[in-house]
Amino acid sequence: MEKRATPLHSDKGSALNLGLRVVFAIFGAYGFSVLAGVAFARGGPFSSPLDAAAFSLMLGFILNVCAIVWVFAAATVSRAALGLLFPAMALAAWLHFSG
Amino acid sequence: MSFNPPFDRPRPLRQSMAWLHTWTGLLLGWLLFVIFASGSLSFFRNEINFWMHPELHHLRDDARAIIHARRVLEREAPDSRQWTITLPGPRDPTLFVAWRADVLSSRYSSPSPRSGASRRPAHGSRPEMKRLGLDPSTGEILKMRESSGATFLFRLHFQLHGVSWFVGRWTVGIAAMVMLVALVTGVIIHRNFFKDFFTFRPNRGKRSWLDAHALVGVVSLPFHFAITFSGLLLLGAMLMPSVVRSVYPDDATGFTMGIRGGRDRFNIAPPSRKPAPLGDLAPMVDAAQEEWRGGRAGSVVVANPGDAGATVEVIQAQGYSLANRGIARRLLFDGITGKRLETPPAKASSAIVSVWNSLVTLHLGRFATPVQRWLLFLAGISGALMIATGLILWRISRFKARGPGEAIPVGCRCVEILNVSGISGWLIALGAYFWAGRLLPDTLFARSEWEIRVFFLAWAASLIHATLRKHLSAWVEQLSFSGALIALLPLVNGLTGVSPLFRSLASGPWQVAGFDLCALFAGALLLFAARKVHLHNFGSIALHEPGERPLPATDERSRRR
Repeated sequence: MEKRATPLHSDKGSALNLGLRVVFAIFGAYGFSVLAGVAFARGGPFSSPLDAAAFSLMLGFILNVCAIVWVFAAATVSRAALGLLFPAMALAAWLHFSG
Repeated sequence: MSFNPPFDRPRPLRQSMAWLHTWTGLLLGWLLFVIFASGSLSFFRNEINFWMHPELHHLRDDARAIIHARRVLEREAPDSRQWTITLPGPRDPTLFVAWRADVLSSRYSSPSPRSGASRRPAHGSRPEMKRLGLDPSTGEILKMRESSGATFLFRLHFQLHGVSWFVGRWTVGIAAMVMLVALVTGVIIHRNFFKDFFTFRPNRGKRSWLDAHALVGVVSLPFHFAITFSGLLLLGAMLMPSVVRSVYPDDATGFTMGIRGGRDRFNIAPPSRKPAPLGDLAPMVDAAQEEWRGGRAGSVVVANPGDAGATVEVIQAQGYSLANRGIARRLLFDGITGKRLETPPAKASSAIVSVWNSLVTLHLGRFATPVQRWLLFLAGISGALMIATGLILWRISRFKARGPGEAIPVGCRCVEILNVSGISGWLIALGAYFWAGRLLPDTLFARSEWEIRVFFLAWAASLIHATLRKHLSAWVEQLSFSGALIALLPLVNGLTGVSPLFRSLASGPWQVAGFDLCALFAGALLLFAARKVHLHNFGSIALHEPGERPLPATDERSRRR
């Protein structure tokens, strides 16, 4: 197997590679950012529900953009997926155990 | 990473980012162009509405407006629980009166808005309002033509047309997210961010388009980020409902109402059920304007008119604080004696809510002075230009000289067609919409629907035209046609109204003069663009890389020159 990075359109299985990234970017990034928004809204140090919701929504949108860019910036698909999955699982676990 | 199947070889960052930028931009580029263009026009919603109603062009502001308004309301709505008078202003000289048609379901009538049967009306069922336009100097009721006006463009901007508002707003929300991704990746792949700031190399083919794309992108980059992000916030509660529900579990509209400052605004006292004549309104307006040191009163709300418990609220025309949603200042008066009443001071917003409000207020153009409004408009147009140049760049980057028998790939041809009809076709539809707004007969049934139909028929015609014609010919023809349509709008205005450009320039109304001048300028720019493409089509300008021939058919011509 060659070690050099190949151009996007020419390597074998590039459709699968891009397809997976597109799916992660659409659904994975949204799921992750909503989880993070909910976790922040519940657990953040806010004085009112209004503050909690406003901050978490802004955070959620920023994280959504970052997550989409991350999915494509990661060198490999597996790294992109794990980079979304680990934080999402940590957030879900925290939400689950904190009630 | 040890697990590394053949399809998952490491990819270089820059290339991935360029791919993401290119394809997100292409996929939603046409939609984003429409959103940016109609949104920019919406900054001048009042002025466009006014231009589309020539029967209002003779109106002039008048100090007696409030007296006329009261007379009409006492005649038309003596039993209403609440009157709203919108005073004429520099953006619109029409005097509007409105009243609640329902008698007891309003929240102002209940002692406590949260008690029992007389709570706020259920979500989505607003109390019916009746509204009349009046001549501010005579109080005569105006017969206004039925027109979709700028409201159609405004709705198109954030919820599209022909789909349910839910689908439309979600689509616009997704487009906004994609726009943010395109902006971030655009910054990442842009090599010489500061060096390119003032770089524009004309007539160098792809290089020039790239320069133009980067230039309009970089110059108003903070605006693009702010306007796109705040657009997401405006749809925020809908796009991420679970986040809102996690802190407002049983209150579907709690967040939206809270962020708008809705539920704890004034509670106006219930009626005393003892009749008493309403005091003079004009001195209250004068007192308020004096208190605001010249800040103009925009509207007057009378609660319980004709009752001993009547109150009059005078609201400033323009907001004063960005952090506070551009909320306007208000003064409350006793409706009988005209004495000032104490009002609870506006609650200061928290830091987080202030940030949210500043962004949203910027997006809505509230609080904007005329200069700021123009800057917002120009920044919005630069966004539309950035998207349009990006779309054209996609096509130019993939342009190859082809022999007579060689077919262009289907996808490439689709992009060509959508570029022409999405950009110049949209401008044709816009021009046709304004023509229809002024030329359709006032008596036409469902006239406002017909205006919108003309818009979409013109757009559909441009799509058909773009599929039938060669790419560059389609550009030339559609750009010239849209330019002519738009540049002739002042003529249409002069022939079908009372304020032709020479008169409006000399003595107002300035909104009409401004619209006409903008139309002339925009039309001239489009005709200029059409000429540029035409010259390029016949080979006198090298819009392509050296060594590339623009079109096989024009080889003869370009070699001769």
